[in-house]
Amino acid sequence: MIVEIEIDGKLINANTGEMVIAVTDREGISVPRFCYHKKLSISASCRMCLVDVEGAPKPQPACSTPVAEGMKIHTQNEKAIASQKAVMEFLLINHPLDCPICDQGGECELQDVAIEYGSDVSRFSEGKRIVAPSDIGPLIQTDMTRCIHCTRCVRFGSEIAGIMEMGATGRGEELKIEPFLAEGITSELSGNMIDVCPVGALTSKPFRYELRSWQMSSVENIARHDLVGSNLYAQTYKGNVKRVVSGDNDAVNETWISDRDRFSYEGLTHENRLLFPQIKVEGQWKEVEWDVALDFAIKGLNNNILNSRNLAKLGGLASNTATIEELHLMQKLLREMGCENIDHRLNVKDLNNTMHLKSTIKLIELESVDHALVIGANLRLEQPMINHRLRKAQLSGANITTLNVKDFDFNYKVDSHITSPNEIANTLAGVLKTLIDKTKQEFPEYLSDVIPSEHSVTLANNLLEANNSVLILGEHLINNAQASSISNLTAEIAKLTNSSTLNLTATANSLGAQQVNFMPNSQGMNANEMLDADMRAFILLDIYPEYDFHHSAAALNALSSDDVFVISLNSFGSELVSQYSDVMLPMAAMFETSGTHMNINGKAQSFRASVGAPGEAKPAWKILKVLADLLELPSFHYENSTQVMSEVAHQSIQTHEYDASIDLSKQTVTLETIWMHSPYQSDVLLRHAKSLNASQIGQMNTASMSVTTAQSLSLNNKDTYLGVPVEIDSIMADQCVFVNSNQATNAGGSQ
Amino acid sequence: MISDNAKKQIDSWIAKYPQGKQSSAVMEALKVVQAENNNQLNHDLIQAVADYLDMPGIAAAEVATFYENYNHKPVGKHIIRFCHNISCMLTGADDLISHLETKLGVKTGEVTKDGLISVKKVECLGACVGAPMFQIGDQYYENLTTDKVDEIVDGLK
Ligand code: SF4
Ligand code: FES
Ligand code: FES
Repeated sequence: MIVEIEIDGKLINANTGEMVIAVTDREGISVPRFCYHKKLSISASCRMCLVDVEGAPKPQPACSTPVAEGMKIHTQNEKAIASQKAVMEFLLINHPLDCPICDQGGECELQDVAIEYGSDVSRFSEGKRIVAPSDIGPLIQTDMTRCIHCTRCVRFGSEIAGIMEMGATGRGEELKIEPFLAEGITSELSGNMIDVCPVGALTSKPFRYELRSWQMSSVENIARHDLVGSNLYAQTYKGNVKRVVSGDNDAVNETWISDRDRFSYEGLTHENRLLFPQIKVEGQWKEVEWDVALDFAIKGLNNNILNSRNLAKLGGLASNTATIEELHLMQKLLREMGCENIDHRLNVKDLNNTMHLKSTIKLIELESVDHALVIGANLRLEQPMINHRLRKAQLSGANITTLNVKDFDFNYKVDSHITSPNEIANTLAGVLKTLIDKTKQEFPEYLSDVIPSEHSVTLANNLLEANNSVLILGEHLINNAQASSISNLTAEIAKLTNSSTLNLTATANSLGAQQVNFMPNSQGMNANEMLDADMRAFILLDIYPEYDFHHSAAALNALSSDDVFVISLNSFGSELVSQYSDVMLPMAAMFETSGTHMNINGKAQSFRASVGAPGEAKPAWKILKVLADLLELPSFHYENSTQVMSEVAHQSIQTHEYDASIDLSKQTVTLETIWMHSPYQSDVLLRHAKSLNASQIGQMNTASMSVTTAQSLSLNNKDTYLGVPVEIDSIMADQCVFVNSNQATNAGGSQ
Repeated sequence: MISDNAKKQIDSWIAKYPQGKQSSAVMEALKVVQAENNNQLNHDLIQAVADYLDMPGIAAAEVATFYENYNHKPVGKHIIRFCHNISCMLTGADDLISHLETKLGVKTGEVTKDGLISVKKVECLGACVGAPMFQIGDQYYENLTTDKVDEIVDGLK
């Protein structure tokens, strides 16, 4: 219902139930506040937002006063100003006046409000309170003497991060905001506390004492570490990203970003950056000018491939974190030369057995499902922003069921069904059979031998009871022996139950890669086939084999062979890359190039470069364009990446034929190792981000297995499995090991 | 960490609240656990109570540090909870507290050597009408004077 109210003499329409502050914010009328935050619950504890409401004897807090028909509000009259000034004076009693040495100076809400409402001279001559800072981890710096007890950080923890880590202990003068546990703050979303804290009590630790906010420029950018594409601002100074803060976009990340997106920029200035073009002459690396390096690259291609028109022996592989523009130009370059060996799916064990389920639900719609079935995903760590949406759904009553190898730590209530990897397809088949049974239809052939387990029946009933459910497939399934059957079964179940689907198995910019067809057509070889095909040359885009390939040993072998010529475009130097490459071309990393990222909803988000690349490094799209020119390929006349993108937008998307068959008899393995990189190791920039990797999540390195599995492998808690410390988990499926590691894949996937 | 006996008592408190609201029993649970541990709580005990009630440790700690009836340092057999809030302060509580400290040879927050008495400053106990006042055990002592304080304290065994 709409009501009419009057604020400062202006008639305004508002919705009943809305708080006064929401209306003034919308109307651009400024009301000072500290504890109010539009995405957090109302605490009304700071009293800074007092306004005068006609008829009310005392001034009312705008953040917790609902509007009512005919209400007359004054935000600027004598009574309002006097109360605001009084509150300000109170707040400043215990707040240190140390703005010159405080990191928040210049972007402090308290400082801003104090300038407007504070008095020049303090009437308070008693001693001020001092609170010892607590060390809450490598990401957030605390200066608790500056805390004004607004409890935004506390509410953020319990309401958004889903783990209450900060709290208000003590009372009165002794009241302190602090964590209870010695580990400090461990949430994967913890950095948002820095953004919500209105004062300098919680600030960014890596950014400490670096700069003043007004010295930096804020440039919009898009996070590319996962398939959400969170909006953020890179704050830069003299060509360096100094800090990242979140951007607002309700359809994507609301107003939060994960720590992964916030602190990855630290990697940009790591000493391992590849800064100069280098060529390998007689086994020795030589730094050279760009034209020399590019000529060298072309000569290598000519000798090994082009002179003999041996294009079947050329392969192009790219990291899925590349931009759409980079991927488009690279596939175009390869295809125009006549090469079809193109792929970005490096971490998939069997590319004939892949998951191609479509995602049919918008991120924002995830909040309103009443049931979700999450299969093979540790959502909190792997897709923090998607987990956040699902958490909201659960809090408003949705029933979330998980089908995982272990009881992962969700920050909301889930109904967890522990299932070993080789039972997943059968469990889903059981679900499908139960569902078909209810409709009294014929079973397809492949279901004839399936006997639905108790799990399956429960899962089927959950789906039937729900009106709006979503089926979510996670990354743990990519290398399941029955991956494509799982994907197809899920599609069938979705059809029967009218559920939406969300496929999280292809992360980062994989959807962008699919959009520009960065995959072989039927004449070409896929990534795994290339590794086996005795190739003569490769062009590689930002690849680090020890982390990126499922078959890392085979990849190294294929790339290192003497008669293969390898052109590597890399943002970071790496020992292995320099071992097998013949020419290394330094490329711009995230934040340093313009481009486009496509998120899980197919939303293409373009961004400009926030800073230039260091040393001689160049944006990869430019490198590829120049390579194409040197190869005398005709249609590479781009002046900027926007032109590349408009070409992509105009081209029709190739759809791939996928095998939609379901085969439950397919051989399953007796011991499946699910190898997941720690969330802060999932791409090369993250691997070089110091503070993230020092955090508790970054340090994660365990190979979890059940008691039975450990016995069958003769391992116990002190041993290692594939180089990773064993952790015996009492609630875990048998016949599998779940590795969450901050180390290189090594032997990880290659069995 | 929590004895079976304590668990039984806590369970009886949990039963008084609607299902799923077991954390409402936190105050009583902390009291029960404190009584079994020399009238004192510590980090691990608070965490144990929180775990038992399925609530975050910090939320239990907020309660345990807010109310004066939870002790986080060793206390004597008798705890004198001296109110120093506004009414008591205006009627001379601060002087009486100093007097008591001198008499016992301890500061507030400390325990006498014989372990008999400790003194705590607390906020308003709702007995302003009889200010200045303190509380020992369940008993309020109001309209205190130095003589009255001496007499009460000398009587503690
Ligand atoms: S630390 Fe910051 S956000 Fe947290 S209560 Fe204090 S002022 Fe508010
Ligand atoms: S913003 Fe309204 S009371 Fe704090
Ligand atoms: S102020 Fe002491 S009892 Fe109220």
